Amino acid sequence: MSQLIGAPLLVGAVAYTPNVVPIWEGIRDYFDEPASAMDFVLFSNYGRLVDALQAGMIDIAWNTNLAYARAVLQTDGHVRALAMRDTDAAFSTVFVAAAGSGWSGPGDIATRRLALGSADSAHAAILPLHYLRTAGVDVDQMQLRRFDSDIGKHGDTGRSELDAIDAVLAGDADVAAVGITVWENLGRGDLMPGMLEQVWQTETYSHCMFTALDTLPESVYAPWVAKLLAMDWEVPAHRRILELEGLTEWVEPHLEGYTGLFEAIEEQGVDARW
Amino acid sequence: MVVMALMRTVEQLAEGDTAEFAVASASDLELVRRWCEKTGNTLVSTLMVEQDSGHVTVGRGRPRNPASMIPADRMPGARLWLYTNFHCNLACDYCCVASSPKTDPRLLGIDAIQTLVAEAAAWGVRELYLTGGEPFLLPNIDMIVRACADRLPTTLLTNGMLFRGQGLRKLRAMPREGLTLQISVDSPTADVHDSHRGAGSWKRALDGIRVALAEGFIVRVAATISAHDDPALDELHALFDGLGIPRADQVIRPIAHQGVAEEGVAFSSKSLIPEVTVTAEGVYWHPVAALDEDALVSRQILPLAPSLDRVSELFIQQWSSVTAATSMFACA
Repeated sequence: MSQLIGAPLLVGAVAYTPNVVPIWEGIRDYFDEPASAMDFVLFSNYGRLVDALQAGMIDIAWNTNLAYARAVLQTDGHVRALAMRDTDAAFSTVFVAAAGSGWSGPGDIATRRLALGSADSAHAAILPLHYLRTAGVDVDQMQLRRFDSDIGKHGDTGRSELDAIDAVLAGDADVAAVGITVWENLGRGDLMPGMLEQVWQTETYSHCMFTALDTLPESVYAPWVAKLLAMDWEVPAHRRILELEGLTEWVEPHLEGYTGLFEAIEEQGVDARW
Repeated sequence: MVVMALMRTVEQLAEGDTAEFAVASASDLELVRRWCEKTGNTLVSTLMVEQDSGHVTVGRGRPRNPASMIPADRMPGARLWLYTNFHCNLACDYCCVASSPKTDPRLLGIDAIQTLVAEAAAWGVRELYLTGGEPFLLPNIDMIVRACADRLPTTLLTNGMLFRGQGLRKLRAMPREGLTLQISVDSPTADVHDSHRGAGSWKRALDGIRVALAEGFIVRVAATISAHDDPALDELHALFDGLGIPRADQVIRPIAHQGVAEEGVAFSSKSLIPEVTVTAEGVYWHPVAALDEDALVSRQILPLAPSLDRVSELFIQQWSSVTAATSMFACA
C-alpha cells in the first residue's frame, strides 16, 4: 500500500497526451481538502499502471476497460471498481465505410476488408471482432488490416483509429472500426461530408474505470469517490476538467458493461498480462 | 480532409497550444469552426490569403476565462489613466512619453477630466491614475485631484520635487482620503537616480516624500530600473522601509522601451493587458504606450464608454489567441 499516515491518496494514470498533466493537476486541485486529498503519478503505458496498482505503488488506477479487465484477471478479482465517466458507461464501436457504400449491418461487413486500431484497444480491435462474432460473422475468415500505432495506450490517442479511417478513404480497406468518441468528433461523418458513413454500431459497453485493490480501506476511498461524484458541470472550474477528460459527470460503476470484454479476452486469447 | 488533420494534431497538443492548418475553401473553414465548437477547441485566428483559401490557427481547449487568471483590479477597465499634461520640470532619459520642460503641455483640462471621471465611474472603472508630465506644474492640480478623488480612489504620480511654495499649498489642499501619491525614486543613493533624472533630483524627491508623509498622505514609491545599472534592490527596499513606506507600496519595474528610452523592455502594445489611458490626443491601450500610434484606441476621448467597451472586447479576442504572451507591465 502507498497509504502512509497523512499521505494523500495516490492515483495513477497513463500520459497519452500532454493534456493529461493539466487534467490531473486540475483534479488534484479539486481534491485539495484533508479528507480526500490526492496526488497523481503518470505512467507511459497501461501495463505499467496495472503492475503499479498490484504492487501497491498507487492506491487507485485510472484504467481503460482492458486495463480494468487485466487488473481483475491478474488479481483473481480482488479489485474494487470505484467510478467511471458517464461517457464510459455507454461506449460503443462504430463501423464506418466510404460514403455511398450502401452497406448496413454485420452481414455487409463480413465480406469486407476490415481496418482495426491498435491490438490493445478494446474499442478499436478487440470488441469489434467480439461483437461481429456474436452477430454471427466468421471473423476468422475476414481480411483484417491492423494499425498498431499506439500500442501500450489502449487506443487512448485515437491515432490508430484515424489510421484505419485513412485506409478506408485511400481504398486500402473497406470498413474501419472506431470508438464512438472518434466518430462523434467527426460529427458522425457530417464534418467530412460525402466521405464516410456508418455501417453498424455495436451495443453499448463500459470503458474506463477508477480501480483499486479490494484491500484499500473504505475509509480511504469512500470520501474520495464521494468528492469525485460531486464534480459539477455547472461550475466553470469543474467544467474545464470535465471537458478535457471528456465527460459531463462521474457515475457509479457499470460492471455489467464489461461482460463482452471478458468474453472477448477469452475468445481471442488476449494475454491477461502485458 | 482538414478535419482529419485537426483530429490528428490538435488532440495531441497541450491545452492552450496552437497549430496551423491550411484551408482550401470556405466550406473547409466552416468545417473547422464546427469541429472546434463540437470538440471544445478554439479557432484562434483565420488568415485567408485568397478569397477561399488560407490558414487557420486552432488552439487546444477553450480559452480560459481571464477573470480566473487576472486579479479583478487589473482587469481591463478596472483602472483608468489620465495624462493631465505632458510637460515636466525634468527630462528623464527613459521617459516613456518623452516629457521635458520643452514638451508641448497638451493639457487634458479639468472640464474634460470631470466628464471622463463621471463616465468612468458609471462604466465600472474602479481606480484613477493621474500622470504626466509632472502634474504639479498645473496650477489647478489640487482641483483636478479633488474632482477625481471625490468619485474614485485616485493615485497621483509625481516626481515629488515641487512641494514648495505654491506646490506645497496645492498639495495641502488635496484630500488625504482616497488619494495616494506615487513618487519616483530609482536608486538607494543619488548617483543612478540623478544620472537618469538630473542632478539633485534624488535628494529633492526624498525631501518630497518626507513632506508628503508629514502632511498625512499615503505615499507609494516607484523605482524604474535600467538593465545597465546595479538595481541594489536590498538597499532600495531598506531606503523605502526607512522612510516608513510599506513593502506593498514599493513598486519596482523595468524601463519600458518607449518614448525617449533607448533601452528597456520591448513589447507590442497589444501584448499588454490593457489599462485604458486618456491623453489630450486620444484614448490609448496602456499608459506606457501613450505616444504609440499602434496603441491608439480612439482619437475621440468623449464619450469614454465606447473606448472602454472597445478595449474590453479587443482584449477578450486577444486573450484567446495570445494568452501565453500577454503580460502585465506594472506602472503602479
